[in-house]
Amino acid sequence: MRAGLAKILRSLCAAALLALVAASPLEAAVVVSSKLSSESAMIGQMIRLLLNAQGIPTVDRLRIGATPVVRQALLAGEIDLYVEYTGNAGLFFNDAADPAWKDLEQGYELGSRLDYAANRIVWLTPATASNAWALAVRGDVAQAYHLRTMSDFGRWVSGGGEVVLICSAEFANAGTLRSLERTYGFKLRSSQLIVLAGGETAATIAAAAAGTNGANTAMVYGTDGGIAAAHLQILEDDRHDQPVYAPVPIIRESVLRQYPQIATIVKPLMESFDRETLQQLNARVQIDGESDEAVAVDYLKRKGWLK
Amino acid sequence: MRAPREWVDRLGLLLTAVGAAALIWLPFLVFKSNRIVPGEPRALNEVLPFWGALGVQAVLLGDAAVALGVADARRRLAAALAGIVVLALAVAAAANALTPPGNKVVRIAPGGASWVLLLCLGLMATDAITRMRPGPLTRVLLLALTLAIAGAALAHGSFDNLSVMREYAVNAGRFPRELLRHAWLAAGSLIAALIVGLPLGILCHRSPRLRPPVLGTLGIIQTIPAIALFGILMAPLGALAARLPTAAALGIRGIGAAPAVVALFLYSLLPIVANTVIGLRRVSRAAVEAALGMGMTDSQVLWRIELPLALPVILTGIRVVLVQNIGMVTIAALIGGGGLGTFVFQGIGQNAIDLVLLGAIPIVALAFSASVLLDALIEALDRTAAASTEDGS
Repeated sequence: MRAGLAKILRSLCAAALLALVAASPLEAAVVVSSKLSSESAMIGQMIRLLLNAQGIPTVDRLRIGATPVVRQALLAGEIDLYVEYTGNAGLFFNDAADPAWKDLEQGYELGSRLDYAANRIVWLTPATASNAWALAVRGDVAQAYHLRTMSDFGRWVSGGGEVVLICSAEFANAGTLRSLERTYGFKLRSSQLIVLAGGETAATIAAAAAGTNGANTAMVYGTDGGIAAAHLQILEDDRHDQPVYAPVPIIRESVLRQYPQIATIVKPLMESFDRETLQQLNARVQIDGESDEAVAVDYLKRKGWLK
Repeated sequence: MRAPREWVDRLGLLLTAVGAAALIWLPFLVFKSNRIVPGEPRALNEVLPFWGALGVQAVLLGDAAVALGVADARRRLAAALAGIVVLALAVAAAANALTPPGNKVVRIAPGGASWVLLLCLGLMATDAITRMRPGPLTRVLLLALTLAIAGAALAHGSFDNLSVMREYAVNAGRFPRELLRHAWLAAGSLIAALIVGLPLGILCHRSPRLRPPVLGTLGIIQTIPAIALFGILMAPLGALAARLPTAAALGIRGIGAAPAVVALFLYSLLPIVANTVIGLRRVSRAAVEAALGMGMTDSQVLWRIELPLALPVILTGIRVVLVQNIGMVTIAALIGGGGLGTFVFQGIGQNAIDLVLLGAIPIVALAFSASVLLDALIEALDRTAAASTEDGS
């Protein structure tokens, strides 16, 4: 019995040692990660592919969790790089009220300064598109009442327009809707609201497109792929009420120092992302159901960055 | 003594009624022009040519007749299996006919009627198998055969135009990896729980004073919601990884598999410890005393008498844990643990129900297979135990 136990123990130790060797990360490979959402994973794929193409070894740890999980993983050094959104820094640094977040450049400046000072995390080039919360109305309604901007929408609703908005509980209760109402001078009654407890924009877009429960306006993200396919018209935030959420790759300084060329590799990619581009790319993943990797490879090849 | 013969089979009556209602009121297929628009319902005779639809209905009618009036279990099983095959082929043929050539965007999924009929026929088949009382080995063979046929049918490509298989095609590169990871996370935490739980159970059996606090504590852990426990574990494990580079290199980190395995390990302890205690308590005093009387030492009694006799009960605990783990690993995807839950949560995020199913269906199949396998093992052990008692050895 004793001999048997010792044998088992010895083989267990051997297995643990083997695991140690196998698990120790490749020397200097960049761990590329992303949130669960399809846009983050797609941009993450593109960055990973570009780095590989330039001879920088990477480890694929995409789609590991929601924002708090990925953020914590970066701070703990378990991952090296992922795509964040500029406006989120307001939450990270408990400073959501600062008006800087409502402007792409100021928000980027402030966020990158705070993150570098506190965590030695470097913000690379941001995209020009913003994935901020916005409202989108059905195309037929937009045409009938000439709705193009949020100001148009505010006038229409306060003038008795028949609106039914479908949105998430977070959107309705965390102050986003109230802020839009204040800025654009309208007020939605509770009968004009359909609030989904854990609502994602895929669900709100589908509901507004189908007119579920009379919904004709949906909470969306600016770069959602489903907006055009569902014949919705996004309303421009013409008075800049909402924080800008531009996708921005962020990286640990120690890793960037090792591979300074990452900053220049990523720059043209991020600069190529305006709203239409991201919407189209997202649509291929969200609507047509292509894999984020296939879309990433195709885009990089079309741009000539990948052979 | 023969039981009086019923003139209709009650289960058959229920299944026929439910199946017929589903076929009349629910769509056979759901057609979506892309992945996220609401689906349009399609009836059986809309999606198949006249003779095809008639043939399917005739087979289903035949199944209903067998379900109602035939008592022989073998014939019931054969009828149910024939029905399942015909239904699956009809769904596949309809999906192929509805898909425009070369179109990768439309999504065609089985509708409510197909799912309900599949469920009814599946119940009829499992009921027939139960009535046949197959031995443990036969059950395992039946499971292997079912999985092999299903796997071959999927690999052959007949179902490639169904929406779930579309999602599979997109994720084919990741699927085997996530499936293996899922199984490994579920099994790994079970193994860890066995290494700790068995000795703890033996200890609790030997010292009754230890039992209430240990089982009480484990019971309390069991009541913590899984996602909360995952969250609670992230902080200490992350701190550990930051202090001890060796731990981090071993994969013990705040994000990823470690918190998932630790949480599942904690959940697994109660069923294993409790069943070990119950199993050992069931061993008759007489057997233990006889062994001691024969001059066996304490540890010989444990290894040769108590544990073998308690094994079926302990295995029942293991079965509970494994099935529970396979389901619960799903949430690991939220903390970077990977597994089939990745597809489930991505699907929920994108409002793409087919992607959710791509994760959920294999999870159900894994849990079902694990439960059949362990049940068969438990029964086989019970039989050998019974046989050896009869031999008097």
